[in-house]
Amino acid sequence: MNALIPLYVIVPLASAFIMAILGRLIKNFGKAVLILELLFLTCLTFSFILNSQGTLVYKVGGFPDTGDIPIAIYMVIDGLSKLLLLIISVVGLLTALFSSSYTREYTAERKFYVLFSLMIAGMNGIVISGDIFNIYVFLEIAAISSYILVAFGVEKHQLEASFKYQVLGCLASLMILLAIGFIYWGTGTLNIADISRQLPYSAHFVKFVSILFLVGFGLKAAIFPFHSWLPDAHSSAPSPISAMLSGVLIKAIGIYVLFRIFFSMFALSYQMSVTFTVLGTLSMVIGGLMAIGQWDFKRLLAFHSISQMGYVIVGVGIGMILLTTGGSKTIAAFSIFGGLFHMVNHSVFKGLLFLNAGSVEYATGTRDLRKLGGLAEKMPITASTSMVASFAISGIPPFNGFFSKLIIIVAAVSAQYYWVALFAVIVSIITISSFMKVQKYVFFNTPKRSYKNFRAIPLPMKFSMIIMALLCLLLSMLVLSPIRDIFITPAVDALINTLQYSAAVIG
Amino acid sequence: MVNFQMMIFFPMLAGIILFLIPETLKAVKGIITILISVYILYLAFSVFSAASGLYQMQCTIPYISSYLILNVDGLSKLIVIFLSLFSFLFALYSYGYLKGKQSVECYYSYYVITIGAAMGAALAENLLFFIFCWGILGLTLYKLIKGHNEESSSAAKKAFILIGGSDSILILGIGLIFKLTGTYNISAINISTSGALANAAFLCLLIAALTKAGAIPFHTWVPDYVEHAPASSSAFLPASLDKLLGIYLLARICIQLFSLTAWATMLLMIIGSLTIICAVMMALVQHNYKKLLGYHAVSQVGYMVTGLALGTPLGIAAGLFHLINHALYKGGLFLSAGSIEKQTGEEEIDNLGGLSKLMPLTFFSMLVFALSISGIPPFNGFYSKWMIYRGIIDFGSGPDLVNKLWILWLGLAVFGSVLTLASFIKLISGVFLGRFNQKFAKIKEVKFTMWLPQLILASLCIFFGVFAATAILPTLFNFAPISGAQNLDGLWQSPQVSILILISIVLGFVIYAIGNIGKHRREDSFIGGENIQDETNFAPSDFYKTITEFKLIAFFYNAARKKWFDIYYLGKGFILGLFNIFSACHTGILSTYLVWVAAGLAIILLILI
Repeated sequence: MNALIPLYVIVPLASAFIMAILGRLIKNFGKAVLILELLFLTCLTFSFILNSQGTLVYKVGGFPDTGDIPIAIYMVIDGLSKLLLLIISVVGLLTALFSSSYTREYTAERKFYVLFSLMIAGMNGIVISGDIFNIYVFLEIAAISSYILVAFGVEKHQLEASFKYQVLGCLASLMILLAIGFIYWGTGTLNIADISRQLPYSAHFVKFVSILFLVGFGLKAAIFPFHSWLPDAHSSAPSPISAMLSGVLIKAIGIYVLFRIFFSMFALSYQMSVTFTVLGTLSMVIGGLMAIGQWDFKRLLAFHSISQMGYVIVGVGIGMILLTTGGSKTIAAFSIFGGLFHMVNHSVFKGLLFLNAGSVEYATGTRDLRKLGGLAEKMPITASTSMVASFAISGIPPFNGFFSKLIIIVAAVSAQYYWVALFAVIVSIITISSFMKVQKYVFFNTPKRSYKNFRAIPLPMKFSMIIMALLCLLLSMLVLSPIRDIFITPAVDALINTLQYSAAVIG
Repeated sequence: MVNFQMMIFFPMLAGIILFLIPETLKAVKGIITILISVYILYLAFSVFSAASGLYQMQCTIPYISSYLILNVDGLSKLIVIFLSLFSFLFALYSYGYLKGKQSVECYYSYYVITIGAAMGAALAENLLFFIFCWGILGLTLYKLIKGHNEESSSAAKKAFILIGGSDSILILGIGLIFKLTGTYNISAINISTSGALANAAFLCLLIAALTKAGAIPFHTWVPDYVEHAPASSSAFLPASLDKLLGIYLLARICIQLFSLTAWATMLLMIIGSLTIICAVMMALVQHNYKKLLGYHAVSQVGYMVTGLALGTPLGIAAGLFHLINHALYKGGLFLSAGSIEKQTGEEEIDNLGGLSKLMPLTFFSMLVFALSISGIPPFNGFYSKWMIYRGIIDFGSGPDLVNKLWILWLGLAVFGSVLTLASFIKLISGVFLGRFNQKFAKIKEVKFTMWLPQLILASLCIFFGVFAATAILPTLFNFAPISGAQNLDGLWQSPQVSILILISIVLGFVIYAIGNIGKHRREDSFIGGENIQDETNFAPSDFYKTITEFKLIAFFYNAARKKWFDIYYLGKGFILGLFNIFSACHTGILSTYLVWVAAGLAIILLILI
């Protein structure tokens, strides 16, 4: 299996270049290649999840280690990477399918698919890199293609959003690069596993570098107070791209790397864990509060991404605190499971919600809640799938969000973080309220106008929304232990056994 | 061995399958729903005859079997049997009511899923399975109202925000209970309400129970919901199923999960009394009969809460008996209201009148329900209210402050009952008696499938009242914490008194027939020779205007109209206020955002290094 690891980067990167060249000559070439590529990656990920155990390492170039100093570029797949790869490829596949009819209105449609594929390559690259500098390189690939995609409609607000996103994104990259420089200066290596071996160095040094990383990747993950670019960028992008950005990108280039750095590279520290949890709680509350008053459908969803990422961070953060204070490891595992489970769920239901917003905009030409209404009868599939997604994000049984929120809240209470649990509950109520608002103003209510340029939703868009709605229901099964053991438990184990990463990679 | 999982999962699956049948075959769906509910009713009877205890559901997935344990005891048996009875009656009614009506999408699917979820919630032993089913009920509540215009979609939104919000709080409560006891199994939990965590857990569960049942201050979804939902949905969920389950949870809290200390009892007594009085005051001034019934659905909860708060066997039995009685007559009232609405299309009391001759069956059943809810002997409402009064008097002998205040609780409960009677006089006379409006000359009685459930419920109201002491209490209310409650001294000997009442009614008829009382002259009101205009017709609700004109009461009515007491609007105002503050900070200016990043970095550095 190990030899297949580079395919995660090679396939999307290669198909991006092929698309750019051959797409000129053959009509619809880009769409077909992108869908096939993501289908391939999905199958590959499933085979990795089902057939491989533990940590897989591939050394690019095959340079042998000298002594125990790794020289080659490492590509590493462990439980956490597999989970992320699964999210990237499945959500990517469904959004690509959705885009195939959505993007017809763009003049540069061909470039859309090239950038989409590059973004996939970047995210896959981050997730499988075993080396901090390669993470930076792939991060830039993913980020730069997302800057362009946000501005893809080249309207005024899109360009403005993209500009803000670029400035803050560059600031983030700068801090990350600075931190990587410090790390190299301090340890003389860039390999994550090796760094974690070298690091017992100076407490202040480690703390300073981890704060730089926290701020840098926090900007990418849109954690409060570094979230300000997200509502603009995610709401201005074309809807399938919003689904990718909110559903996948902030997890792959923000949250994932933070987890990787704090669990596997640095030794867990109590102070950083607490900071992490506090920032998560703040994101949760402020994202929710900002979302409820919005009247732009996608902006409301974008603020909820901040809030829901807060839940993920809180779940994992409480686990981190318990691990550093020597609390119960079972509760820590349970809490981290809740966080990761919520991350998976969020990518599905938030992706679906953005696709819903996209099809509403496609059909009616607006996403202002006050101008919409009464669409339940005109767009039954969009209405029912968005109902499913709204229930899922609000945490209503039997949908997936219910279970992950339940686990996060119960874990927070068990770990005696009652205030965090209380905030999680309050934000959950706010979430319900704001999605009831969406349901009311978009799909119920009296129609505000007769929708002159009403367009029917094409079949591929309907198809990917239905599949995502089914996933919202089926992912509830992840709480059952045999299915959980296949998909999420390896990721939890990879995080909890902090010391095993470097041992498994360098051996 | 009863097939317990069939009670829960069969309706849920059937509901999902019903989604696949197209809406054009609504009649077929209706018949299937009736058949399913008959089957569930049959199963419920077998549950009732099964021995009490914990039952493991047969389950092919071994990993979840620990969650699928059912707790069959007297309380859950009682609830299950009435859940299924009401499901059957309302399914029958829905069939006629929804025919030929532009109604809720997939009504029957959600209806059937509701049955399964309600059974699951009533029988669950594991709290996690309980909240799973409990949450689904909120979802179906939201889907059983058609959001076709501004008001109805607002009502649906409000109902779901309150119900869903209380479900989230319930999750927190369950988490706290797990923290305290280390188990999710209801029968293994007994916490004293002392200590901050136990109190918090108690309050969380209490909020969930009260919101579902619709008690003050979480009641505000009920009147809005019933005003805009189809009458069959209102009868099905807010009037009966949600009450049964909400009070079921409250009973579990009071009897089993927690042992209440004095302050908890005090809190419950205050909530109960306030609910009785405030809601009935609101009901008095309503003009829309559905909304009037909605406020009564809130007010009656107060009696149940009061009964359960007493904590004595008599009090708990009284609360539960009142719950059953309430579901019988309030469900019936909504059905009658639905019949009137279907036949006349009118929702204002003042526009109706004189329907008693045209819809005699509806009139008769509504009269029975109105007398029952107002607590007139020998109907069932009287008996359970009597038990509650009796319970409060007994309760007065206790040592605490809350016991010392018994006369206050008693007075408020009795006063609430008086006001209930007053508002139902308005309803009955406004709709069925009084001047006949020519507009409604062509109205007929509703169809068989609609009047039959009403009559069944009406006869049950009479039966439960007359035979309460001899038949109902010894069979249905004879389980662990409350057995023996019916044998106390001084309770109402319902059969004997009923015979006396019957004799007096017969005597009255005899006198009416043999005397010449019937031979009187009938004239319109004399108003100085003028023709009677519409504006000289005294609308029944005009008589109630004086209430709103008292100085102090007027203040409260004004405040209520401005939604000062509505927790939904209070919360909304608070949250939107916070939103405005934060949104003022999100200026959209890039340099501000850069400052945030710098400030964030600086603060983290300052704190940590």
